Amino acid sequence: MGRMNWNRICAAVLLGLAGMAAAKAHGQFISNSPRNSSVIKTEAVQYLFPEQVSVPAGKPSAVTLHFRVAQGLHINSHTPSDDFLIPTDFSIPDGMGVRLGAASYPPGTIISLAFDPKTKLSVYTGEFDIQARIVATPGNHLVQAKLRYQACDQNQCMPPKTINVPIDVIGK
Amino acid sequence: MRRNTIVLIAVLFILAVFAWAGWANWEYRKQAAERLLAGAAQGELVPTSGGDAMNYVSPLDGKPAPNFALENLSGSKVALASYKGKAVMINFWATWCGPCKVETPWIVELRDKYAAQGFEVLGVDTEGDDLQPGDKAGWAKAEANAGKFVAEMKVPYPVLLDGDSISRDYGGLDDLPASFFVDRSGKVVAASLGLTSESDIEGNIKKALAD
Repeated sequence: MGRMNWNRICAAVLLGLAGMAAAKAHGQFISNSPRNSSVIKTEAVQYLFPEQVSVPAGKPSAVTLHFRVAQGLHINSHTPSDDFLIPTDFSIPDGMGVRLGAASYPPGTIISLAFDPKTKLSVYTGEFDIQARIVATPGNHLVQAKLRYQACDQNQCMPPKTINVPIDVIGK
Repeated sequence: MRRNTIVLIAVLFILAVFAWAGWANWEYRKQAAERLLAGAAQGELVPTSGGDAMNYVSPLDGKPAPNFALENLSGSKVALASYKGKAVMINFWATWCGPCKVETPWIVELRDKYAAQGFEVLGVDTEGDDLQPGDKAGWAKAEANAGKFVAEMKVPYPVLLDGDSISRDYGGLDDLPASFFVDRSGKVVAASLGLTSESDIEGNIKKALAD
């Protein structure tokens, strides 16, 4: 009887310790997130959709492209308020079977920032659309269009960046 | 006998759990060491204990400022090493950076105030981060913009071009403005990222000037 109790006690203590060790190890593995979520490492602009468009081959066609600016950031509109500022610009490189005829950009929202209330900026925040008029040759084209922008938050700015805008264009 | 076997199996199982926990702990520490190494050249924003204001903790704090020699707007090479014996503020900026535009008049004013005590500013233009090396028109425009900006702001201190070529040595500089305050011996004594106040900049200048 005494021996049985001893075995039970040993087993319970060891199980408890093992449980604590396992919990600690698990905790360590799930705590790999950065210690400060405010570090700016986000992609400032994300291309949302469409992934695929079908257009009549050889004819100018309008395609609306949807983007999202990360929360807390803004990018200059296509027509910024100062010559020094870098405009948001959409382009399609040559040789992809799809030509960009023209692009229509939304007007920017006029804002001023706390550190410089007198200066008015024309910017995009949140979601915005660009309407591109494209001409595709017949066939299926995996187009890597480009969006160049320059993003800031309230106190600092990130360098200008060009991201890929992947669109599968089917010219019929 | 059967009970003893069950206890033995349980003990072995528990020992295996311990072994796994030990391995997991070792693996975690290894990953942590790798992350630390990978982030060694990358400064980061950390919250102060007092509130929302952010302090920039640079990996260069207390270390010698990486030397560089860059061309100024006139095409002459300017080396950081030639300023040894002076307190120097290395200010990374760009014309497209609104906050840089706001702080520049403060820096000009503070430079004039402390120049007699052996203080100088080196403005480092990091204009063309995504410009390709062969994009001559893009680089020419960037240089022209820098010249125009310096003239408009009446900047009296040396302004150097192609800051992108040295930004990695200074922690990557994912954001602007970024400033490093170097004491007379060439050691980084303070750094700031993003727009701070004029009094913060002045405090850092005083740190750099202190013997």
